Amino acid sequence: MAGNSTKPLRVGVVKFASCDGCQLGFLDLGPALLEIGVKYHIIEFGEASSNRTPDGPFDVLFVEGSISTDEQARHIRRMRDRTGVLVTIGACATSGGIQALRAWAGNDGGIAGFIDAVYAMPEYIDTLATATPVADHVDVDAELRGCPIDTRQLVELLTATAIGRRPQLSSEAVCVECKRAGRVCVMVARGEPCLGPIISNGCDALCPGMARGCYGCFGPRESANGDSLAGWFADSLDLDDAAVAATFAGFTAWSPELRAVIDARGGPPGMRAAPASGSGKAANSKGGAA
Amino acid sequence: MIDLTARAWLAREDLDRLIALLREDGRKVVGPTIHDSAIVYDEVTSSADLPTGVTDEQGPGRYRIARDGNGSSGHAFDFASSPMSWKSHTYPAAVPISRATRKGETVVYEEVKHDSPRMAYLGVRACDIAALHIHDDVLAGGPYIDEDYADRRGKAFIVAVECAMPSATCFCASMGTGPEVSWGFDVALTELDDGFVVKAGTEAGERFLERLHLDEASSIQAHAAAGVGVEARARMSKQLGVTTEGLKDRLVAELESPGWDEIAERCLACTNCTMACPTCFCTDVKQSSDLLGTQTTGERHWASCFTLDFARVAHGNFRPKVKDRYRQWLTHKFSTWVDQFGTYGCVGCGRCITWCPVGIDVRKSLQAVAPVRAPTIGSEKPVPVSANPGRYSIGTIADLWPENRNVYTLLLKDLPEAVCCGVPGQFLMLDLPGFSAVPISVSRYREGEIYLTVRTEGSTTKAITSLHPGSQIGLRGPVGRGWPIEEGFGRDVVIVAGGIGLPPLRPLVDQIFKRRGHFGRVRLFYGARTPNDLLFMEEIKSWAARDDITVAVTVDRAQVGAWSGAVGVVTHLFDREPIDGGHTTAYVCGPEKMMTATANSLAGRGILPEHIFLSMERHMQCGIGLCGHCQMGKNFVCKDGPVFSRRELGESLDVEGL
Amino acid sequence: MTRKKVAVEATIPEQRVFAVDSMSRVEGEGRLRVVVKGDEVVEAELSIFEAPRFFERLVVGRHPDQVIDMVARICGICPVAYQMTATEGFERLFGVELDANVRQLRRLFYWGEWLQSHALHIYLLHAPDFLGYDSALDMARDHRSIVERGLALKQVGVDIMALLGGRAVHPVGMRVGGFYRVPTRGQLRALLPALEVALEDSKETVRWTSSLELPEFERDPLMLSLYDAELYALDTGRLVTTEGIDVDPGDWDEAFSEQHVEHSTALQATSIDGKRHLLGPSSRVVLSGQGLHPLAKEALEASGGVEIIRRNMFASINARGIEMIHAAAEAIAIIEAYEPPADPFVSWEPRAGKASWATEAPRGVLFHRYDVDDEGRVVKARIVPPTSQNQAFMEDDMRGFAGSVLDLPEPEAAARLEALIRCYDPCISCATHFLRLEVERI
Repeated sequence: MAGNSTKPLRVGVVKFASCDGCQLGFLDLGPALLEIGVKYHIIEFGEASSNRTPDGPFDVLFVEGSISTDEQARHIRRMRDRTGVLVTIGACATSGGIQALRAWAGNDGGIAGFIDAVYAMPEYIDTLATATPVADHVDVDAELRGCPIDTRQLVELLTATAIGRRPQLSSEAVCVECKRAGRVCVMVARGEPCLGPIISNGCDALCPGMARGCYGCFGPRESANGDSLAGWFADSLDLDDAAVAATFAGFTAWSPELRAVIDARGGPPGMRAAPASGSGKAANSKGGAA
Repeated sequence: MIDLTARAWLAREDLDRLIALLREDGRKVVGPTIHDSAIVYDEVTSSADLPTGVTDEQGPGRYRIARDGNGSSGHAFDFASSPMSWKSHTYPAAVPISRATRKGETVVYEEVKHDSPRMAYLGVRACDIAALHIHDDVLAGGPYIDEDYADRRGKAFIVAVECAMPSATCFCASMGTGPEVSWGFDVALTELDDGFVVKAGTEAGERFLERLHLDEASSIQAHAAAGVGVEARARMSKQLGVTTEGLKDRLVAELESPGWDEIAERCLACTNCTMACPTCFCTDVKQSSDLLGTQTTGERHWASCFTLDFARVAHGNFRPKVKDRYRQWLTHKFSTWVDQFGTYGCVGCGRCITWCPVGIDVRKSLQAVAPVRAPTIGSEKPVPVSANPGRYSIGTIADLWPENRNVYTLLLKDLPEAVCCGVPGQFLMLDLPGFSAVPISVSRYREGEIYLTVRTEGSTTKAITSLHPGSQIGLRGPVGRGWPIEEGFGRDVVIVAGGIGLPPLRPLVDQIFKRRGHFGRVRLFYGARTPNDLLFMEEIKSWAARDDITVAVTVDRAQVGAWSGAVGVVTHLFDREPIDGGHTTAYVCGPEKMMTATANSLAGRGILPEHIFLSMERHMQCGIGLCGHCQMGKNFVCKDGPVFSRRELGESLDVEGL
Repeated sequence: MTRKKVAVEATIPEQRVFAVDSMSRVEGEGRLRVVVKGDEVVEAELSIFEAPRFFERLVVGRHPDQVIDMVARICGICPVAYQMTATEGFERLFGVELDANVRQLRRLFYWGEWLQSHALHIYLLHAPDFLGYDSALDMARDHRSIVERGLALKQVGVDIMALLGGRAVHPVGMRVGGFYRVPTRGQLRALLPALEVALEDSKETVRWTSSLELPEFERDPLMLSLYDAELYALDTGRLVTTEGIDVDPGDWDEAFSEQHVEHSTALQATSIDGKRHLLGPSSRVVLSGQGLHPLAKEALEASGGVEIIRRNMFASINARGIEMIHAAAEAIAIIEAYEPPADPFVSWEPRAGKASWATEAPRGVLFHRYDVDDEGRVVKARIVPPTSQNQAFMEDDMRGFAGSVLDLPEPEAAARLEALIRCYDPCISCATHFLRLEVERI
């Protein structure tokens, strides 16, 4: 792809179930937005332009949002066939997002219970019982993590693609960014639960920079050892099972490494399973982050 | 040649003059300040910026600062290692190292000039000085030199400070890098209440001090200053260190140890240890380009061998597993670094222990994967004195006193040397002609003398305890297998005694105090039926007052008003104690029911049966495994024990009537 | 170059359908459909087909500080509005007294979002309609400095939010009782030069938008906004309407209710007696204009006065510009008077009850209600975004406006209708999750 050709790449930006915040990353490019036309020809971007080419074909397609309806599942498969490089952007597309928590609805009435809780006439809503990442449905060529994505990583992806090199998007822990910036660890120095050690960096350790623990919106990194960190939360920070599960059950809860811990500790708040046999500590008065 | 013995005195109110003079020299002064609940190195413009009256408390995965903790009001340097080391300034996290322009076929490189500002580092401790010199070797020792590092290092003026309050994670003494500041500085300060004893370490330091026009330190001040390092060293000797003896070879012999897998289960590969470490030096170069790739800057960033990508090549990855990466780090730091640079890579600052988010302690990790096997406390099994029941040695009772209404201690002197070289946990067969011989535990070894603590139960013991100083008595031994103290090396130790079970454990406690740096947390739990059954209470109280052992005592029952301590069975004392089961060794002695309950309780806390040791009691006549009385399952208590691990006992312990 | 699809049904000769299947330059996924028989508009529907995410159910069981983090994700353009409304509801129930300087920082944070949102809307989403372009990127080819002005204005809003909340989209700085961390005076003052420029740019924006030709479309709308005697409508005061409703902002649900209609995944809100209200910048300027900063009032007069804004929906572009002037001016005042508080937040104790409040998101009144237990955890939640409240009104306006475009070819008529919808700055991703406390069958 890319690199030496002089023809601009045909680019699309589309969304499924999401808040639009990741697409804003393009609009937040600022003046660079006006420059990228040299290399990138945006042919479909509903939020920004009424000049639409919804069916592509696309050299690069950026996809925001999770797949929540049958129609969306069909649609993404159609798009995949018409796309060269498919890049998912944001927690919804890469892990299902916060709305993926609905998958635990089985603990509490199922998706029907969800719809009843929210909508007056539930029979009007057609939705899947899960909100799943795009990669569950089609092959994905690259992903930008985050809730929302970090604009600098988007710039790196666009630059690298234009030049022809591998994008420098590493999967180091958030701790790397904290330490490079000389920040004091909020967990070691203040006992604040922080998911940073098992979460992928890219945000410049935003939450520790604001004196709070990381809540995992970039999703688990490689070698994420959720069990060990959850054990530390329980044994040394005195969080009970419900509080540990609540800390892990955030914007990337559906990722396998986080999901395993949530399940082992009874499920997310408001969607907990009946007490399992001997799974960890009983509730105590310290509520921690939950 | 400078006078390395010269000592000057800087009054506390004059510290500002020192700082001001450094700034007048055009140096930015960086030193300890309080920020975000921690003591961090940042710009210091006057002594008001220093953390006066603040100390720190550190442990695995834990760091807290306290104002006026440990009576430190007025002192500015009474804390240990900082969250980030001086490498944040000498080898910063992000440094541009190349600039290039690419247009069409042409490539042009522009040199990046390294011209950093003049700096003074205030408050550099011995461990960090050692780290700076390790970096000098690695980064500027040749044949290739990191130019940015060399520039920064050359512009650094080091004002060291003597460490007065090492923390629980410090182990510089083990690593031979401190706590005393003896080299590698321009000026060094030792803090006393009213000010600082000051010395120069280089000509630059000497010239600087001349400009301060300080008085000579008095001999009292100089003496007090020397005492600071001694005190710090003494503190560190009471907590776990690293046994560096043979460490380099031990480690590489254990590359397949299952210990690595155990650590990998906890390790998050988060890189905090390498980032906080003052000697780690691995880096990445990141390319920042404009959209068309015409201008690119290469920036050197701190990297870590714990990151998956670190060892990746196009076709695969040489260290895919967390275990591989942890092993790489530890073996580099404590073994292969020696081959590369002639010293250990570790300076014992303890940052990796404090700042590990899950509290992994390298001191324990080293012992877990490459344990010190050979017992280093000269306990080659001595040949017992007259083991054979036909031949007794003579011992003279030098003193005899009651511990309580039915327990007495005998002090024997003028003994054959072999008796006094026994191992804690062994016993002697005592004989008074006309009475059957009895096995009696040694309750203390001293040079040339031993203490035996006896409970009067039968006619022999009654007779023995009715003797008086000067009386003679026959003895054989010491015999039996004693407490395996080396099984506690590099681990936490829990000692549980019940009633008359304390005496056989006391020599073990003596040995632990003597070699305190080999062990982590040491805790003693002692219970007896009633307050009158407690033994050695004065001694117990003196142990409780020490800061390198935790002591808890309980009684099963007590009359109201007669006892103000805990009441309940001894297992209740540690039910709520945090116990790092995977890294604890337990030594237990008391009535068999008490030992069984204790062993079960400790096993439930995660201590493996091979790390729980019990001292069993059975009827003994010969003491050397020939009369058959003391058989228990497949073991003879007298010669295979009396100390057994829970694993060795297996079924025997839980079966009644065995 | 394909444009949006337009369907024309041939079965009933005199029936014509104007539809836009997937609207552009609006936030979220919606479609519009107007059906005309002869001269009569028989159907005007705004369908929201945004996939629902069920936020009201997701926050059940959560601690208030986690609720604040979660509700931001309802919208990528106005996350601060969701965080503020939730936080203030909790603070009211728990009896939390904020430090006065922290109160001011909260307002500054919100003004940052208004600046960002309004600049985005005016320059990137709305203005292309007035000048005949498909997008701001196209517009920039001929009017580069105008688009750059818009991007610069947007950036100032982003910078304010990034300083106070770490980042502009889904900030991480807010917590019940204050902020996790507050900036120093120096950090805030560093924003002043750019804010001074933003103030000038905002004035220039209103001068420019008031020179644009507005389509003719006048009516007499019922309007709803916050009103505070001393401050411009943001997060204090009372909820008022043009016909006299006046309730505490925490009691929105005593004056208004919602229904679920078949063609939409969103609920529609009306007052209890069935009336439909307009919310947003136009309503605020009309109902709360006395609270505008003098510079904003000047610009309002120079742009033609409040009456045009009240009667013509297309004049909302002026209302937004006027609000940007106010936002920039008040932001400057807040920064100049700021003293750092002793602590970034105060501690608080939860209690059981109803935590509810309404604030003015850039798009209009946003209402939250959380019923919480004695640990402060959510038992039930209800969130009513401005676009859901506007939805019924938008359909009425489409019905009213359709008559004036019937003579145009269908693609152009549909485009005009779409341009009308843009005047409301709909935020459709927000609009698709509500909680109802009672089922009301239509």
